[in-house]
Formats: sequence, structure tokens, C-alpha cells
Amino acid sequence: MARKLSLSLSKLGRPLRELLRYELGGPLVALMALITASSILSPRFLEPYNQRILLLQTAPLALLGLGESMVILMGSIDLSPGSTMALAGTISAMTFTRFGHPLSVSILVGVLVGLAIGLVNGLLVTKAKIPSFVATLASLVAGRGMVLVLTEGQPIVGLSQYRVITEEVAGLPTMVWLFIAFGVLNYFLLKRTSVGLVTYAIGGNEEAVRYSGVRVDAVKLFNFILAGGYYAVAGLMMNARLEVAYPWTGWGYELDAIASCVLGGITLSGGVGSPLGPVVGAYMLTLLTNILILLGVNPYFQWVVKGFILVAAAAALTRGVRYVK
Amino acid sequence: MRYVSSELLATRGLVKEFPGVVALKGVDFDLRYSEIHALVGQNGAGKSTFVKVLAGVYSPTRGEIYFKGVRVSIRNVRDAKKLGITLVHQEATLAPNLTVAENIVLGTLGKNGGVLAPLKTSDILEIARKYLEIVGLSIDPRTKVGVLGIGEKQLVQVARALAEDASVVCLDEPTSPLTAVEAERLFEVMKELKARGKSMIFVTHRVEEVFAVADRVTVLRDGYKVFSSEVSKTDPSEVVKHMLGREIERFYPAKKGAEGGNAGVPRLKVVGLTTSQDGKGVILRDISLEVYPGEVLGVVGLLGSGKTELGKALIGMNKIVKGEVYLDGVRVRVRSPVEALKLGIFYVPEDRRREGLVGIMSIAENIILPKVWETSELGLIRVPRREVSVARKWIEFLKVVPPEPNFKVMYLSGGNQQKVVIAKALKARTKVLILDEPTFGVDVGAKVEIRKLIRSLADEGYSVLLLTSDVDEALALCDRIAVLVNGRVVGTYRTSEISRDFLVELLGGRGHGS
Repeated sequence: MARKLSLSLSKLGRPLRELLRYELGGPLVALMALITASSILSPRFLEPYNQRILLLQTAPLALLGLGESMVILMGSIDLSPGSTMALAGTISAMTFTRFGHPLSVSILVGVLVGLAIGLVNGLLVTKAKIPSFVATLASLVAGRGMVLVLTEGQPIVGLSQYRVITEEVAGLPTMVWLFIAFGVLNYFLLKRTSVGLVTYAIGGNEEAVRYSGVRVDAVKLFNFILAGGYYAVAGLMMNARLEVAYPWTGWGYELDAIASCVLGGITLSGGVGSPLGPVVGAYMLTLLTNILILLGVNPYFQWVVKGFILVAAAAALTRGVRYVK
Repeated sequence: MRYVSSELLATRGLVKEFPGVVALKGVDFDLRYSEIHALVGQNGAGKSTFVKVLAGVYSPTRGEIYFKGVRVSIRNVRDAKKLGITLVHQEATLAPNLTVAENIVLGTLGKNGGVLAPLKTSDILEIARKYLEIVGLSIDPRTKVGVLGIGEKQLVQVARALAEDASVVCLDEPTSPLTAVEAERLFEVMKELKARGKSMIFVTHRVEEVFAVADRVTVLRDGYKVFSSEVSKTDPSEVVKHMLGREIERFYPAKKGAEGGNAGVPRLKVVGLTTSQDGKGVILRDISLEVYPGEVLGVVGLLGSGKTELGKALIGMNKIVKGEVYLDGVRVRVRSPVEALKLGIFYVPEDRRREGLVGIMSIAENIILPKVWETSELGLIRVPRREVSVARKWIEFLKVVPPEPNFKVMYLSGGNQQKVVIAKALKARTKVLILDEPTFGVDVGAKVEIRKLIRSLADEGYSVLLLTSDVDEALALCDRIAVLVNGRVVGTYRTSEISRDFLVELLGGRGHGS
């Protein structure tokens, strides 16, 4: 039995090594290991019902991770995802319930709010020349403040119509299709367009890109704006899933967004990583919470486990680097 | 394998392998007491790797190191320092935010009483003053290192090595960022240290420096030691011959450019250009020059003359406060590299790793980057096949090695990296090519190739502005030469009308040869 196992493992070795040579190889191997371990630990893990919940929970985080990755790949950082998704969700919900606009308009307003916050972030970084960490920290704080002012700290109810996003189409909830679509879009944008090339180049060596006469600031601005749009979509997904817009939605999610990127193999110094990394990372992060709940572990424990996993992922990413700051 | 006891330091069969590359292939080397031993070779010959192994930055793959007759193992920088071997790095490795004194004592911390021993400011200053005096630096030890010039930083590094009580000081290309005057000063310090009984390994790729300061010379080529001799028993051409491994065909290409008259409208004309005071570096004052199609105009100036600032001002990276720029007779404003690119002005920076290339990307991606939309469908969607075929054309034209469009730029040699930056410029259909020290840090073979290339580009009709501190390079390549001293053009001459001596005199010192 043991011999058989080691035999099949060595057979597996070669394709495994082959897989690891790809950008997304590491995260995929980690994902397979997690799925295998989880299905052994809990037979309920692979049940369609559980997987459906898992994917629904992954969707908003995946969107946050995708937006975050656009910024991190440039070597910047965005701390505003959590607040942006909350503000976009809140204003969209208010447009719908308080001002009685149709759902389509409300959704559009929500997306515009996200894009606007992205624009502000981008302008603060490119025009006011404030480091992205500080600029988006300001958005994180001010954004949450605006949500609390607008809602007076109370949840907005009556969002059942948002449910169209969670309804099933072709066997999967629309929301899941949405995040798959955005994943594909992100991959196309970063790997198949000139904007994507410049994004990676900025992360690789911004100075050289500037000397080349490339519109670096324009691309930065574009990426920050688009990232804001991604966060807004995540906010709308939360409205749909909960049918309530809570003022504390997305509290602390900026860290989950960054963690999704790191777990997905995107280095924080920029320029390296697959555009699909954050999707894989977000799934892994959600899976961890899920399996701990299935196993009946104290839910507070998930933060400790996430911390360890994050360290492991970061260590794998910086292998071979001599030192970091 | 026998070891001779008159030597301070010796290596036998030293091998250093990196993934995919063998940098040192069995080097035997001896360093005597109170000796300056020059280590020369082309780029990639293994000189830097060799001193880094001795200083514990890299650990050797195989081979033996003997120190004062005893076999030693140097696994890290601490081991090396315990033996008294210190490396003065190519780039100054000092903390710019600390004072000179603090930097000097940094390496000695923990020697007496551990890291927690109390630091008395007066003690630190006294130690620093002592060693600054030895290296002949008359600066206040309380000065922040960040405000020092590169030459002073080098000397502070030497002072630090002395404070650490080093008996072997390895200097890794210390002169490459220095002006002629600063280099002379360093040589004086080196001789002074020798008189005090220190031994030095002096890495350089400038052969004339070997004869100015060293007692012995060892030549490395492709990781092998190919030659070693007393300096008094050899001559520069023999050393260069061993560095190259073949006869130097011809260092400089033939000129057939517009030696005659420059008729017509100049491609680029600069009138009274003055840069703003607030920028870093040298302020340019009232610069006027013209570059015609098919011409190489040399702007010759030493380090700190403002030649890099001029190149950056012409692409809008340094702010111009006064003066006009004309392109083909039309007045233009260049406020950013974006506008410069549109007009066809491209600056190929001296520091190509930092300002010229994205190391983690491929040759092809770097070449197409400035005008990536041209190879893209609708200006947006990339077409990898098209990118690769465009890149292949330029790789072939410039003979980039390896000729692989998907090869990562960071793994290329200096000369090939330079070619990729030039390819970027040509691919972007540049009319005015500004080359800042294009043969700096490039091995001799590639130097010849790049010089030929510059000449042939001019012959094809490009206007080339060659910013250089190498007098011989300027004389050999340029049609006309503008001499830049302290941010001002002190004269523009037809190359055929001036002598090397005159040019050197104008520059106020010795010009660097190659």
C-alpha cells in the first residue's frame, strides 16, 4: 500500500514540476493540496451544496482580489477595497430604496461610485504624488466614514430585487458566472493588451518605463479606476447575497484582498504574478474558513490559520530573494 | 598545490558555480604582503565574483583559500571580516541617512563588548577622524553621507575598511564612477595604505590604471586566470591582448560621415538652454548646439559636467527654464519623455539597468514597450507573433546574443543590454538619438561593436548626440565635438581640427581612455 502510494507520487512528480514552472503553478498546486486535504478531513466538503456556498462566498472576495492585483502588479498597494465596496453597495442600495430608482440605475450608480473612488485614489497618487499606501489609507478611513454618515449606522433593508445576481443560470448562480467572467476579462486585459504590458512593466521598473516615453500616469490612473470598479461589483454582490446593505460590510476586507493576491502568487513588489492568481487565492482563503467551520473548529481560530498560511505563501514567493524590507 | 609562505592570501582551484553559469573555473591567485594586485578582465570574466568570494558575499563551490599559510573557509561576510578581508563595493554601500562617523564605526560594532556596548559620540568622532585622515579626506565626520560625492563615498568606504582593521582591502571597480581627479586621489590613498602594510586587490577594466598604481596584474577571462605578471615586466598592449584573447582588430570604425559641410537645416537645434535650479545635479547654463542629419555630435564632459543632465533636459526629464529647442527648424516644447517620443527624440541612459530596461521582461517586450500600440490590434490587443517578429528583426540587426526574443533582459550582458535599449529607440522610429556613455561598463568586444553601430546609424541618416567622458571615443566617432565644463559649453569644434591634447586641456584634466 505504502509502496503503491510512493510510486504514484513519483509518477505525479514530473507533471507537478512541469506545472510549477507556470506563473499560476504554485497557487494551483497549493489549491489541489488544500482541496484534497479538505475532502479527506470532511466528506461534506465536496458536496455540491457546500461547493455552491463556497463559490458564492468566494465571488466578492475574488473581485476585490482582482482589483487589488491591478494595483499590486504596478508595485503600488490599495487599502480601499473594503470601504469602496461598502460605499458603492450603500449608495446603490439608497438609490434603490430611498430614491426609488429601478434596479438597473441603482447598479449603475454603485459601479460609478466605485470608479469615482478609484479615480480619486489614482489622482492622489499620480498628481498629488502621495504614496499609494497613504492615499488609499485615507480612502479607507474617509470611505467608511461616508458610509456611516449616509446610513447613520443602520442597515438598509429591502434589497430582495438584487437577488437576480444570485439566481441560477446554467447550473451556477449568476454571481459565480460574473466572477468567472471578470477573471477572464482581467486575464485578457493584463496579458493580451498593451495596457497590461505597461502595467507589468511599471511593476518591473517604473523609472525605465518613464524614460521610454510611455504614459505611465495614464495607465496608473486607469488601473486605480478599474480596481475601484471591481470593488463596486463586489459591493453589489454583497447586497444581493445578504439582501441588506450593512454599514460594516467589507470591514477589514482590504487585508483579505491583499492576502488573495499573495496566496495567488502575486509578489508585493510588483511585476510578477498571474492575473488569475487572486481568483485562486480568494477561493483558497474562503476554503480555509469553510473547512474550519465544517470541522467545528472555533471560528475565531480561522484568523490564526490564515496568518500561518499567508506566511507560508509569502515565504514560497520570496524564495531565492536575498533580503526584503 | 604547494603553498608558498611569503604570501598573505592564496587561492587554489577556486570554482564558483551559479545556476546555469560557471563564473570561476579554477582560479589560482596569490596576494603578497603590502601589495597592490590589479585584477582585470572584460565584463563577465569573473573579477567581481572572485573578490566577492574572498569577501564572503558568495561562498565558493570548490577550491581552497589560504590566509597567512593556513587553509581557511569563508562562508559569509563575517568570516571574511574576522580574517581581515573587506570589500569596497562598486556601488557605495553606505547608509546615506547616517553620518560619516556613524558609517565608519558601523562595521566595528560588536567587536568590543558586543552590540549593546554604549556608544559615545566623542569616541565615534575620534575614530572617524583618525581614519579619515589616513584616507586624506578633510570633511566633518558629522556630515551625512547622503550629501557626499561619489568619490568621497568611496574613500569613506575605504576608511571604514581600515577601521575594521582590514589587512586585505578588495576594491571592486572603484574608479568607474570617479572623475580623473578623484581617481588620482584614490590611487594616492592606495599607495599610502600600501606603505602602511596593507594589501589590496584592485579590480578594474581600465588598463592604464593598472600601470598607474599596481605592483602585479592578473587577467581573468571567462572564469580562467589567463595571465599574471609583475607590472614592471609587462605593457598595456600585452594585458589587453590577454583580456580579449585575440588581437584587437580595430578599436574604432572608419568615419565616412558628413565631414564636409553641414548644409541645410539642423535636425536638432538648441539655443541658450538653461535648466532650473531646483533640480538635482548640475545646472546647465546657456547651452547652444546643433545636430545635423547623419551627424554624430559629441558632447564631451567629465563626470559632473552636466552631460547626463543635458540628455535628460532634452527629453523633458529636467526642467528647462530658458532657451529654445528646434526640431527640423520648427520650435518645439519637450516637457516629458512622452512628448519627446512623439517628436522622435530618444534618450538612452547611462544607467541602463535602472533607467533603460525592465529586467524581468523579455527582450521583445522591452523593445516594443515605448510604442506598444503599434504592434497591437486596434492599438490595444497585443499580437505576440507580431511582437516577436518585430523584435527578431532588431535582434538580428543589432546582433543581440542570445538571439531569443523571449529571453529575459536581466540575464543579458551589459553590452547586449545596451543593444536592447538602442533597439527600443530605433523601433520607436527615433530621429535624434541621445546616447549617454553608451560603452560604459561594456566589455571591450561589445564596445567595438557598439561604436561601429553608432557610426553606421549616423551614416544611415540618424542624428546622434553622443554624451561621453571618453576623449578617444569622442575623437574617433564624432564629426563635431562640443566641450562641456561645469554646465557650460566652452567650445564646439570640428573633430578634424582639434588634437587630443587640446581637448584634454579644455576638459581640465586627463581624459579616460578605453
